[in-house]
Amino acid sequence: MAGQSDPNLSIFSAEEVEFMAEDELVEIVPNMRMDKLTLICGDYGPFFPQMPAQVPLWLAIALKKRGKCTIRLPDWMSVENLSQTLEAERDSQESFQVLPFHYVEISRLLFDHARGDIPDVYTVRSLIEDIRDVRFHKVETSLESFEDARSSAVKVKNLSAMEVNLVRPFVGRALQAFYKHGSPELVPNPERMPPRRPQATDNVQRRPLRKR
Amino acid sequence: MGNYYDIDDILAEEELVSVVFQKGANGVGIDPSAEAYSVEPGSKVKLPFWLAYELHARQVVTMKLPACFNQQTRLELGADGKAVDLRSRCLYFYEFGCKIAPLVGDRDMGSFLLSAFRNRYQEVLAKAHSAAYTAASKLLTLLTKEEINLYEAAQSSMAAFKKWRMGGPRLQRASVLGRKRKSTD
Repeated sequence: MAGQSDPNLSIFSAEEVEFMAEDELVEIVPNMRMDKLTLICGDYGPFFPQMPAQVPLWLAIALKKRGKCTIRLPDWMSVENLSQTLEAERDSQESFQVLPFHYVEISRLLFDHARGDIPDVYTVRSLIEDIRDVRFHKVETSLESFEDARSSAVKVKNLSAMEVNLVRPFVGRALQAFYKHGSPELVPNPERMPPRRPQATDNVQRRPLRKR
Repeated sequence: MGNYYDIDDILAEEELVSVVFQKGANGVGIDPSAEAYSVEPGSKVKLPFWLAYELHARQVVTMKLPACFNQQTRLELGADGKAVDLRSRCLYFYEFGCKIAPLVGDRDMGSFLLSAFRNRYQEVLAKAHSAAYTAASKLLTLLTKEEINLYEAAQSSMAAFKKWRMGGPRLQRASVLGRKRKSTD
């Protein structure tokens, strides 16, 4: 029962997920000369004009804001690749296409800060929105089906961080409820329940009532 | 037995259970139909669950299955679980059911609760991430507390995501800035 009314099931806010996405590497083309940057997360640079370099997204955005670089569009964000992904997403009902783990956040950050570096920005944007919608619809469908399977586990591959984060509070609670009502303490019929691993979160200890 | 810090757990134990006293008790006013301050053996009283539980543990009372778990409700939930108004029958349907099942010796309670929740879960899922508040308000009048928690968890995460996607002020102004300095004299 502990988790059922626990409001802290959803741990990350969207902004925190975005923060984590800023560690992803992107390619920039600097227009200035700068020495090597020695940061905790690694060394980046040295930077020379017109020589592409890999930097974390947060650094790329910081440089972009100062007009020191242009950000190269990641390969998966090109119009062809996105249209292909969208087609494939629509074709396969179960599986999800392989996209970067933080694709929602990266695209959002690039739209916000590097509009000028994206060719066909409106097409790209609407393609990504479509992909996200199709994928989320698939997530809902797969959530609908998991309660038939008499198990407290779902396997969905290739979900992105934001999609997971979006359904985390709901799925967490739902699985706990399924687990609780299906727990063998209430149903003393062992062969009807699949074996499950003990969960630390839902050990409702019941005192034995009448000791005889 | 209950979770001391969980308000829902406490409220779930407030649900009334009808019990039959096996032993008499003097000096207590829990039977409203009795003339004196006493309870006769064999009298039927409705008690909140937390009291009935303790009395049951001392073998003073026997419990009856509450009305919200009777055969009719089971049939209705089996027929069309989504449309049953569980909220008015018992706001803490699932929690209460879990608590009372071992006491009344109901072996089917677990699977009954599970199937009821499974049937109703789909409806919550279908509405939770998409429907506008007004469209779902009819649904909300039917749900138990646990289902509403589930629904609201999904709604709030969806709202937070939409807010993030739409943007808005990215930089927050610190509250100390822009405040006029008070004149010292």
